[in-house]
Amino acid sequence: MDAILSLLGAFADLATPGTLFNVLWATLLGMTIGMLPGLTATLGLALMTTLTFRMDAGDAILVLICMYIGAIYGGSRTAILLNIPGTPANAASALDGFPLARAGRAGEAMGLATVGSFFGGLVGMAMLALVAPQLAEFGLRFQSYEFFWLAVFGVVISGRLTALDQPIKGWISGFLGLLLAQVGQEGIHAYHRFTYGSLDLAGGLGLLPALVGAFGFAELLCVMKQPAYQTVRDMGGRIVPKIRSVARRWWTILRSGVLGTFMGIIPGVGEDMGAWVSYAAARRASKQPETFGTGNKEGLLAAETGNNAAVPGAIIPVLTLAVPGSAPAAVLLAALFIHGVRPGPLIMIESPDFIFQVAAMLFWASVAILLLGLILTKPMLVVLRIPREQLMPLVFVLCVVGSFAIASRVFDIWVMLGFGLLGFALRQMHYPMAPLVLGIVLGDILDKNFRRGMVLSDGSLEPFFLRPISAVLAVLTIMTILWGLGPIHKAFNRMTGRSP
Amino acid sequence: MSRTPRADFWFSLFLMLLGAAVVFESWRMPRLENLGIDPLSAPGLTPGLLGVVLTILGLWLFLQNRTRKPEQAESDSNASSGWLRVAVTLALCLSYSLILLGWLPFWAATAVFLLVFIFVFSDAAWPLWKRALVASLIAIAGSAAVTLLFEQVFLVRLP
Repeated sequence: MDAILSLLGAFADLATPGTLFNVLWATLLGMTIGMLPGLTATLGLALMTTLTFRMDAGDAILVLICMYIGAIYGGSRTAILLNIPGTPANAASALDGFPLARAGRAGEAMGLATVGSFFGGLVGMAMLALVAPQLAEFGLRFQSYEFFWLAVFGVVISGRLTALDQPIKGWISGFLGLLLAQVGQEGIHAYHRFTYGSLDLAGGLGLLPALVGAFGFAELLCVMKQPAYQTVRDMGGRIVPKIRSVARRWWTILRSGVLGTFMGIIPGVGEDMGAWVSYAAARRASKQPETFGTGNKEGLLAAETGNNAAVPGAIIPVLTLAVPGSAPAAVLLAALFIHGVRPGPLIMIESPDFIFQVAAMLFWASVAILLLGLILTKPMLVVLRIPREQLMPLVFVLCVVGSFAIASRVFDIWVMLGFGLLGFALRQMHYPMAPLVLGIVLGDILDKNFRRGMVLSDGSLEPFFLRPISAVLAVLTIMTILWGLGPIHKAFNRMTGRSP
Repeated sequence: MSRTPRADFWFSLFLMLLGAAVVFESWRMPRLENLGIDPLSAPGLTPGLLGVVLTILGLWLFLQNRTRKPEQAESDSNASSGWLRVAVTLALCLSYSLILLGWLPFWAATAVFLLVFIFVFSDAAWPLWKRALVASLIAIAGSAAVTLLFEQVFLVRLP
């Protein structure tokens, strides 16, 4: 009952004209960024974090959350109209959204995506308000051993699920991230690792410049490598979906919302897997699975509900364990630290209302995408008519300014360029980016807790494997690795009679 | 199935070398025993472990790559023009961020960068004067907008 009252109180607190104005412009900006191929939610959040660090903490976090929700939703526009996912989270939406658009029903598809995203956000928000306080309480039982395994498990599961064809590439990406996080002054004895006398390197490789490089500069190079995308002229059809059409799909919405939220909670997996898993579940449950991929509205609805539900899902571990559920959530985690919020298991003790404030921010952001998405569908298509050669140099200027802004260090621009080149090379070789980001974020947690654990256990590995939660995490990690090994996977498929 | 067998081969060698170098460097890091510090919290412990893991992953990638038949390279007629665009983009972006920004004021460096970038990549079917005009207008407006917005609204220091 207290939780419901706190949640209602948080909704009311945010319902002021100034706050709602911030909700509207930040969500609209997020939608615009999400719509533009080459600009992802991660880049938008990273740039916005650098620009809002002088704002009041509550306002800045609100702006970032609205931008996050807006960007994941905005990407559906490009997926439906151009068959190019605006953000990686919208890839599943293109499967049925684009065929609908080709059939002259783009407006209907966008309306359905909007409603799906809205309900996905609401389901995710409700689950955040329910699950996060419990998870924070559970997190209080975590010691160094558990945090060590959480970091390892996060990188392993993220690598496994973001590189389904070749999990080894996901793991390489994740462990590279963990290694890069070791550069600079370490957190126990203040020793400078891999700095070779450079004072700039002693400060470590900044997360935000690294993300701006890996998701901004690298993406810019990828976009410029591709042939130019077609600009949009017409979308056709009604936009606001019929209430009956949405109401009879309530089970798809609820199932996709819950699945999307759970996929968001898994460290480093995020919105794209939220969409794919929801899409696959909808297809499995459908009486006409063969129509998926040819313009099935259920498929589009499931994908868009799933990816937007994954946003609150990805925020749950950020708030309760200080571990990001996705790449944009990693930026949000960094932003929380910048603004003096200490996420982690103690959050319900130190700032008990904060989780409900975040839930209220997610609610208003979802309302904003519903309103803006349905009202501004046609005017927003102007954004997709900007040629890439005019947009991309401006994006690069923002990458440079954004990297420099936080610490006014030229070194951060070099970090951005370095990570941009690394990210571009890894993408060309089909390595996923999310495990790399997660590795950079979790590197410090892994390092400190491994060494603390070793000291506390006097060099014994027993507590790493015998404490109950540690043991569960260790078994899950080992199972995930074994599952990724080709021969074991094939043997399992043979045993269960599945085709490989 | 790997779509980039040659790149995987070289990258696997790089990973093994990197992992070995990290293990070596971690081993060289002080254990700080002279300061009465428990050697189990030595700074090189975690990086050393990660170096070992990366070496194993590199070896795994190498072996996996050897057992797979190399595939035919994608016959993409746009590939070479794509790489040319990447090279030009890279040259322009690096010139702007590493040379122009230290040499000219931010607004001027940004205007020059935007002008050249847009001019180079704009529609080749347009007449030269139109490409130059569009590029100049966007460069001036873009540079002024970014400078004013960041300095006056967001109160951010510019490089």
